[in-house]
Parts: sequence; structure tokens; C-alpha cells
Amino acid sequence: MQVASSNGPALLRAEGLTKSFGGILAVDHLNFTLAPGELRCLIGPNGAGKSTLFNLISGLTRPDEGRILFKDCDITRLPPYRRVRRGLCQKFQTTRVYRGMTVAQNLLIAGGGATSDRQRNGRLDWALAALHLDAERSVTAGALPHSHQQWLEICLALATVPELLLLDEPVAGMTPEETKLTARFLDDLNRQGLAVLVVEHDMTFVREIGRSVTVLHYGRIFSEGTLDEIEANHEVRRIYLGEF
Amino acid sequence: MRYAKLRGWQTLTGPQEIGHGPIFWSVFALVVLMLLGFPLAGSAFALSNLANFCLYVPMGIGLALLWGYSGVLSFGQAAFFAVAGYVYGILAGNLTDVPFGTLLAAAGGIGACAVLAAVFGYFVFYGQVSGWIIPLLLLVLSLILETFAGQTAGYQWRVGSVLLGGYNGMTGIPSLAIGSLEFGGAATPFYYLVMLLMLGAYLGTRMLVNSHYGHVVAGIRDDIERTRTLGYNVNFIQIQIFVLAAALAGLSGVLYVSWGNYISPSSMGLLAATLPVIWVAVGGRSSLLAVLLSTIALRWLADALAVKGGEYAFLIMGILLLATMLFFPEGIVVMLAHRLRHRPSTRRSAAKSESR
Amino acid sequence: MSAGYLVNLLYQYADSIAFLLLAALGLMIILGVVNVINLAHGELIMMGAYITTLAANAGHVSLPLAMLLAVVGVGLFGLLLERFVIRRFYNDKLGALVATWGVSLILSQGTLLVFGPSMQSVPLPTWTLAYGGYSFGGYRLLLLGVAVLAVLGAWWMFYHTRFGVRTRATMQNAAMARALGADTRRIYMLTFGAGSALAGLTGALYAPTTTIVPLMGTQFVDVAFITVVVGGGANPIVGALTSAALLALISTPLSSVFGTFTGRIGLLIAALVVIRFFPRGLSGYWQEIRYRQMTKVAS
Repeated sequence: MQVASSNGPALLRAEGLTKSFGGILAVDHLNFTLAPGELRCLIGPNGAGKSTLFNLISGLTRPDEGRILFKDCDITRLPPYRRVRRGLCQKFQTTRVYRGMTVAQNLLIAGGGATSDRQRNGRLDWALAALHLDAERSVTAGALPHSHQQWLEICLALATVPELLLLDEPVAGMTPEETKLTARFLDDLNRQGLAVLVVEHDMTFVREIGRSVTVLHYGRIFSEGTLDEIEANHEVRRIYLGEF
Repeated sequence: MRYAKLRGWQTLTGPQEIGHGPIFWSVFALVVLMLLGFPLAGSAFALSNLANFCLYVPMGIGLALLWGYSGVLSFGQAAFFAVAGYVYGILAGNLTDVPFGTLLAAAGGIGACAVLAAVFGYFVFYGQVSGWIIPLLLLVLSLILETFAGQTAGYQWRVGSVLLGGYNGMTGIPSLAIGSLEFGGAATPFYYLVMLLMLGAYLGTRMLVNSHYGHVVAGIRDDIERTRTLGYNVNFIQIQIFVLAAALAGLSGVLYVSWGNYISPSSMGLLAATLPVIWVAVGGRSSLLAVLLSTIALRWLADALAVKGGEYAFLIMGILLLATMLFFPEGIVVMLAHRLRHRPSTRRSAAKSESR
Repeated sequence: MSAGYLVNLLYQYADSIAFLLLAALGLMIILGVVNVINLAHGELIMMGAYITTLAANAGHVSLPLAMLLAVVGVGLFGLLLERFVIRRFYNDKLGALVATWGVSLILSQGTLLVFGPSMQSVPLPTWTLAYGGYSFGGYRLLLLGVAVLAVLGAWWMFYHTRFGVRTRATMQNAAMARALGADTRRIYMLTFGAGSALAGLTGALYAPTTTIVPLMGTQFVDVAFITVVVGGGANPIVGALTSAALLALISTPLSSVFGTFTGRIGLLIAALVVIRFFPRGLSGYWQEIRYRQMTKVAS
């Protein structure tokens, strides 16, 4: 069942993406579409190819076959930094911030020197406040609790003024309250027009956010739909839990 | 959260470099005044020596920028130093009748370094090679250049009217001059030129490292992939810093030949390549000021040893380097600076954060 | 193009390969296993030459025995170096580089102070072979033989002994190897000792062919470094062989036509070009190809 709005051009389109590592086919001729301003969750059992798909989209890995279009431009051959400049930013599975520098210094770097962009600064102010980071700007990033580091990384991504945010397990290791806060935050972000693609295992989180969900399995799209549809789907239950 | 662009003077103080607050700047100003007033009290000999020690500071700062702030270890500073010296010598010797000929020669010398650095940088940074490859190749480059320069004795080895001179080196290099004002080794104008350039190089790079650009460079050092995925063309930025460091080394080289009117292959060999690394390691690569101080101190030490026991000079340098790497890896001056900051009687600095 | 001319060309090529292999193999093995660059490598070679020369001349020991002493002596020194210096820099390649550079200075300057600027060398055994109008130094052919033996020995050790298996495991994943019972510390120590012993062997073998001066190590390291850069640390043996073969191919014609200096420049340029396109060196690229072949087999 098609949930993504197919009116108008897709923001992100992957066609025939294929990637193997050694003998393992991680992504298998995958076709994927995301509309502008859409919020989508990507779920699937371990090894389904979710992180690989992310790395292909952000450019850290090159596909063996296929191509990726962002805002109708073929970005398949572009290095990561060019993709970021076009509005595509990833938050990594293992949190990557500059651990030896303060929150303020981290944001300074992510900000790209464009310090007079009112809209972006406004959004950052709001984000830092919503994520309780505004009181911590002099704290060294490495000393922050894990959840705050993840939030910081999201803010770093926001500082690059993205149109599409790729979040790889943003709530891993968070408490239920923190997970709720993150979900609400991403929801607000999405309402402001930012497209968000999230990989997550935490079903409570997906339920909080999940408007549309894509299920990946063995490097292919297994199923797409609303969360209710997905949860009711016996086949999806099977790939997660095995035959029963 | 303040996002106002860091205006020039604001970057004089920041988290990327030690030394903050009124006490620091007062002492700094005092020392600068003493340095500027030195010609009134010191002998011409002392002046010449101090100028000689200080002219190496830009080269040391360049390496600190490269190694400490950008994470790239380079053994090539001496090579760039000497290339600038030789190119300056060739140009200045041939442009003797051209007005401002020596200034053109200086530009040529530093420019040659920049070009050489850009070419080398293209291969290593766009190749995204492992860090250890760069110092190895630069060592080899130094060796090759030294060997080449060493075999250029004889009249056939000349450019224009300037002899390269082989192992004995190039002699009779004219000092920098503007009109009738000559910046020769023992003269007061040269001393002031060196002080000006040394302080300018220090304050300029200090502002650079605290600026947004400086933070990006530090980001490249700390997590290169993260910096790429925040939209920066990392390879290009690395080349820029490499070229800047080479240009600073070239500046030192030009000042050196202006001081001594002489350059030889030993200025670019293995032993010469080691010296900047020792200055930066002993001072502490995370601080430009530490490197400035250690460069002057170690140059003084080398000079003192040359008089009393020249054979021991490099042995002592080697022991110093090994001991520093084993026991004071952050650098002796930096270590002392940190001890100073944590004494209860010391005023807390404005920026509490530390960055490496 | 007479047969003699071809043989002479081949001889020069083989001689170059032997020099590159002997100069670089120890360094590459250390890089591949322990993951550090030992900038004192040249000085270890120098030590081998000095021990050999002193033992043979002043100690009146036979040349082969003197060489054996050199190998053992430098190997033991390597063990000490690993224990007291290298150990602190396991995860800090650049730090190891700088620290070993300090060691290198101490060794070369110390040698200068103790033994003076030069020493009388051991006479070169004069065995010559003649063919097709050219004469070939028999001793240098011996060196070629030793180089081949050294590579074979390393290969056998890596792929046909239990120690070799554990070492390769450590190279791939040290933490895992430790969890499976490999004593990685001992492996690092012994490998460093072996690499140093190889350096000592090189110094010992080349002692009769060159002047014995404290800075003699530099003539070896400038090609050793290039060989290591081009070869890469992924697989020391494949890296050393392919790198030496390629570099000798470039330097031999350049040196014989234009002189040693041009040969060296050619090597540096070759190294820059190679790493631009193969940043992990030739052995890194070789590993990548093997990886891709595995994909084809699996799917």
C-alpha cells in the first residue's frame, strides 16, 4: 500500500541499489522513494541492510550498481561533503561528535561559518532548548551522557541546514522519557518541513512517530505502509520472529 | 546561543591556544616591549644571535599548525626552508639591478615552497593516505634534495649568474633590502624585521586557530569522517594548511639567508629535518606559544652546545626528543603551562574548555 | 642485443630487487604486525654493519660468524627497543615514528662519538663470474640468494607455523586473537625482534660492499621507506615482493642511464603516483581484489 505522497517530484529516489561486502549481499536491487517533507521509519531485522542503505545515501559507501537521486540530481558519484552541501545529513549509529571539544565548538564547526542565517539560528536555538542542550554549551562533548551526545549530533546535522535528515538509531540506549522527547522533537521538526528518515529498532518510538514505515529484509523492501498495517502483517511478524 | 561571526580581534583569545586573561596579555606586552627595546641595551652580537634564534619561529609554528592542530606529521619543514633559501639566492643574485629585486626574490622563494607543497599535498591528501606515509615521503624528499644540492659543485651548476655551490653551499646571497635600507644579519633593521614577522606569524596563526576555520582544521584532526559529513572538502583544506606551513618555513628560510647570506645542503638534510620536530615535540604541539618558546630556547641551546661541545649537540637533541616522547608526550612547555593554570593562586582563564 | 647484455640487465634488476627487499622486509613485517614505523631502522642496519666489521676486523672472527653475531645482537637490541620504547606507542603510529626518530639520532650520533667518522670496512670477498663479455660480482649474487631465502623464510613462518597463524590473527583483529588465547604482547615483541634481526642481517651482508660510517643507514632507509609506502602494511610479504619488483623496474634503467640520483627521484615520483591511486599500497589493493573475488565465488 503506497503511503508516500506521490504528487510532485520525490525528494530522494534510489533505483536498483546494490551493494555486497565480501560474500554478503547487503542491499539487493533496492528501489526506494521519499517525498519532500516526509517522515519515514525504516525497520527490519538485523542484517536487513538498513545501515548500508544509509551509508549509500550519504555517500560513505559506493554502490556496486544502481543510482541515487536527490532533488532530481544524480548524486551517486558525489563525495559525502557535496551531498551535505545539497541538504542531506546523517546522524550515525555510533554517535560521532567531536568528543574533545565543547558543545559550542561542535556547533561552531557544524555551522559552516554561516553565522548570520537567521532561520537556521532560530531553529538551532529552539532545538537546543527542546533537547536541554542550551545549558551545556561549555561542556566537553565527550563528557555528556550518551543521550545528550545523540541529541548533540542531531543538532550538528541541523546546523548544516538539511532538507533530509538521516537518523540511524537516534534513541538507542535512551530511557523511555528521553525516547518520548526525541519522538516529539522529530515530529515538531517534521512539521516544520524537514524530511526525516529514521532507522530504529525501538517499536515504542516508531509508534510515537510512525506515520509511514518501510520494512527491509535481506536488502530488499519487504513491505511498506502505516505502522498499523505493518504490525498487522503476518509476513512481517514472521521475518522478525520466525515461523509460528 | 550566540552565533555572531567571530570578529577578527575576538579570535585572539579562544580555546585552541593557551594564554588568556589580563595577566597573560600584560606579561606578553611586557616581553614584546623588552624585545623591541633590546637593541638599545644589547651588543650587536647579541642582537644578531637573538634574531637568528627567532627567525626559525615561523617554521616551528608552521609545523605546530600542521601536526598539533591538523594532525599531520611533517618532516618536510626543513626542505621547504632550504628550497626557499636557494630559490631566493638564485633570484636575488640574478636580479641585483632590479629595484626591490630582493623582495621579488623573497616572494619567489616562498612561492616556490607553496607550489612544491601544493603538488606534494595533491598526491597525499587526495589519495587520502594513512598518516605515516607523509613523514616518510617527506624524509625521503629531504634526503633527495640534500643529495642533489650536494653534488652541484662546479661551474656548470649555476642558474643565471648564481652558482649552486655543491656541498659548500651558495655564498654571497644578498640580504633583503628596500632601497638603501638593508636587512643584513648584524644590523638593527634586520632584528626589527624578524621581531615583526615572528610576532605577526604568531598572532596571525593564533587568530587562525581560534577562528571558525581553525576549528574545522581541528575537527579534521579529531574526526576526519565527521568533518567530511558536515559538508567540508577535507582534502582541500588539508592541502591549504600544508601549503601555509610550507610558506611559513619558506619565510624562515628567506630570513635565514638574509641573515647569513649563505645556504648549504645541510640545511635540508635529515638532521635539519629533525630539528623542527624536536622543537614542536618538546614545546608541545597543541600550543603555538609553547612552540615559539621552545624554538627559541632550543636554538639557543644548539648554539651554546656548538661552542662548548658541538659533537654532542645532536646526541643531546636525540635524547631530549626520546625523553619528551616517553615522559612528557604533551610537551614540556605545555605541561608547565597546565601546572600553572591549576595553581589556586592563578586567575581562572576566560575559556574553561580545553581542546587538544 | 647480445645474450650477455640481457643477462647483465637481468643481473642489475635482480641486484636492485635484492637491495630493496633486504632493506625493507624487516620494516614491512614490523609495520604489518605491530603497526608501527620504526624510524631507527636505518640505524639498526648500521649496527649490523658495525658489529660485523668490528667482530671481523678487531675481533678476528670469521666473516660468517661476525654476521651471525650482528644478526643476534641487533635482534636482541630490537627486543629491548620494543620493551622500553615501542610498547608505549601501540596505538599511536605518529608517536612511535617520532620516538624512534629520537632513538635513531641517539644511535647515529652515539656511534659517531664512540667510533669516529668512519671505520675500515671488511674486505669484499672477490668471487667473480664472467659471461658474454660481462663480469658479475659473486658476492652480490649471494646477496640475491639471501634475499630470496629471507622472503621464503618469512613466508614459511607466516603461513606454515602456529606462531605465524597467531601472528596473522593478531594482524587482522588483535582483540579477537587475544580472546582466543594468543599472547599478542609476545607476538609484537618477537616480531619486532625478528624485524630488527633482519635489519641487522642487511647491515651485516652489505658491510663489505660499502663505507662504514655512522650515517650509512640513510642509503638504505630512503629506498626502504619508499618500498614500504608502495607496498603497504596489509600483507608484508606480498607488499615487499610486488613493491620491490615494481620499484626496481623503475630505478634500474633510470640509474644505469642517468645515475643513482635520478633513480631515487624516479622512485619518489613513482611512490607519489602509486599512493595517489592505491592509498593502502600494492598489498592493500591486492587484498581488495581478493575480497572482491570472494564475492564472485559466493554469489
